[in-house]
Amino acid sequence: MATPIIPSLLRENLAALAADDARLDGRSQFDGRDLEIEVDCLANAEGSCRVRMGDTIVLAGVKFQIMTPYPDRPTQGGLMTSAEVRPVCGPNWEPGPPSPESIELGRVVDRGIRESGCINTEELCILPGEKAWQVILDLFAISDDGNLFDAFALAAIAALRTATVPAERFDVGEDYKLEVKGAPIMCSYHKVGGRFVYDATHREELGGDERIHITLGNEGHVHSLQKGLRGIFTAAEFDEIMDAAQSRCAELRAIVAEQEASL
Amino acid sequence: MGYGDYQCMDANGIREDGRKADEMRAVEIECGVIPVADGSAYIKWGKNEAIAAVYGPMEAHPRKIQRQDRAILDVRYNMAPFSTTDRIRPGFNRRSREISKVTKDALESVVDLELYPRSKIRVEIEIICAEAGTRCCGITAASVALADAGIPMSDMVVSVAAGKCNGVVLMDLNKPEDNYGEADLPMGILPMTDELVFLQMDGDLSMEEFKLCWDYNVKAAHDVHAIMVDALQRRYGGDV
Repeated sequence: MATPIIPSLLRENLAALAADDARLDGRSQFDGRDLEIEVDCLANAEGSCRVRMGDTIVLAGVKFQIMTPYPDRPTQGGLMTSAEVRPVCGPNWEPGPPSPESIELGRVVDRGIRESGCINTEELCILPGEKAWQVILDLFAISDDGNLFDAFALAAIAALRTATVPAERFDVGEDYKLEVKGAPIMCSYHKVGGRFVYDATHREELGGDERIHITLGNEGHVHSLQKGLRGIFTAAEFDEIMDAAQSRCAELRAIVAEQEASL
Repeated sequence: MGYGDYQCMDANGIREDGRKADEMRAVEIECGVIPVADGSAYIKWGKNEAIAAVYGPMEAHPRKIQRQDRAILDVRYNMAPFSTTDRIRPGFNRRSREISKVTKDALESVVDLELYPRSKIRVEIEIICAEAGTRCCGITAASVALADAGIPMSDMVVSVAAGKCNGVVLMDLNKPEDNYGEADLPMGILPMTDELVFLQMDGDLSMEEFKLCWDYNVKAAHDVHAIMVDALQRRYGGDV
């Protein structure tokens, strides 16, 4: 990703706003942008979701392949997550092999889902030692106005939770719903103007410092953490955003459940 | 199903998806769908879905790609990994590179590039859902995205394809007709003059069949053009 020049004016402006407990778009510190979720939106994917958070738009698509289980885990299938941030989604994203930024995105989302244990890889086994399902989760950015992490993570879990295993097409039985226990949800906080804010826009990211991503499971357990970019934070700052994440993740989980119920 | 077993039409001359031989799939277009882009368009064409984004004009770098007398178009056509029945591995392949190139050649033919020396205009085409005919979908969406970005053009390119299946000339082949068919003729047409900026063909067509395909395409291009104009008018109002 090309790094644009960051005018010191933008940083000063963000700092002045933060001092007044304000943000560029009028939100308060831990407010999210308007959120839209649509599941089952891609005809050729076995599970799919489109998420819109403000002007950030992403897609998640789930596909299945048959794999040979790894020799040391003959009864387990696999999950693979890949994030493609193609240059279609913004002026600063460039073509070419996956950038470190997009690899980080994919891996952080993957860890939250994998470590929460919501997908039992034993259940993906078809024939021990010979055949198992590989679940492939592709994350695709359409418009990047900041906080791709949360948008990807939300689209990912909603797409997985509504996915159908295409067993008929692969001649291994009847189609069935992929079993997903619980819904790990990510909340991301960016240091902007000296304090952490939730769901930063692209301009806040540009003029901000470090970011912290927190993924929480149904019982409020922590499943993945990631600190990114240059910056220093205190334990007190972390406690504050962890509290905010606990309540926001529960809200988002309810929204995902609502979408599933509407199917 | 083996080659030659597919029956594209029933006894009444109706295709599997309910169309007659000369009928197109339904086309819907919406522009301005990518808020951060300078211009963008979404197209749904049968079950095909594509988005196109335009960024620029902007400085062309590295400098060796600059043209002193005009801008260049940097066009990329890509299929999302989940756009087809079998997942596509991310990254460019020979097919997507070729389609990117012919799309660039088509669009560079209409864009007033001389207005922006030493610049580049990025055109990004992403196929989200594929059902045969995605290159036509992509070129058409890119034309609308360029117009949405306010890039001066002599005309919008409308891309459509006719072909042949079971010996019958058909407008706008769908997936099985394309897979089991005998020919496909995609064209990029300028609706104001009926001139061409894009032409490909593969298969086997007699001269009569070829002419019929051509006529089908020209007529369809005008129909699709009306939908493109409508999408722009819905966003901007006024006459085009």
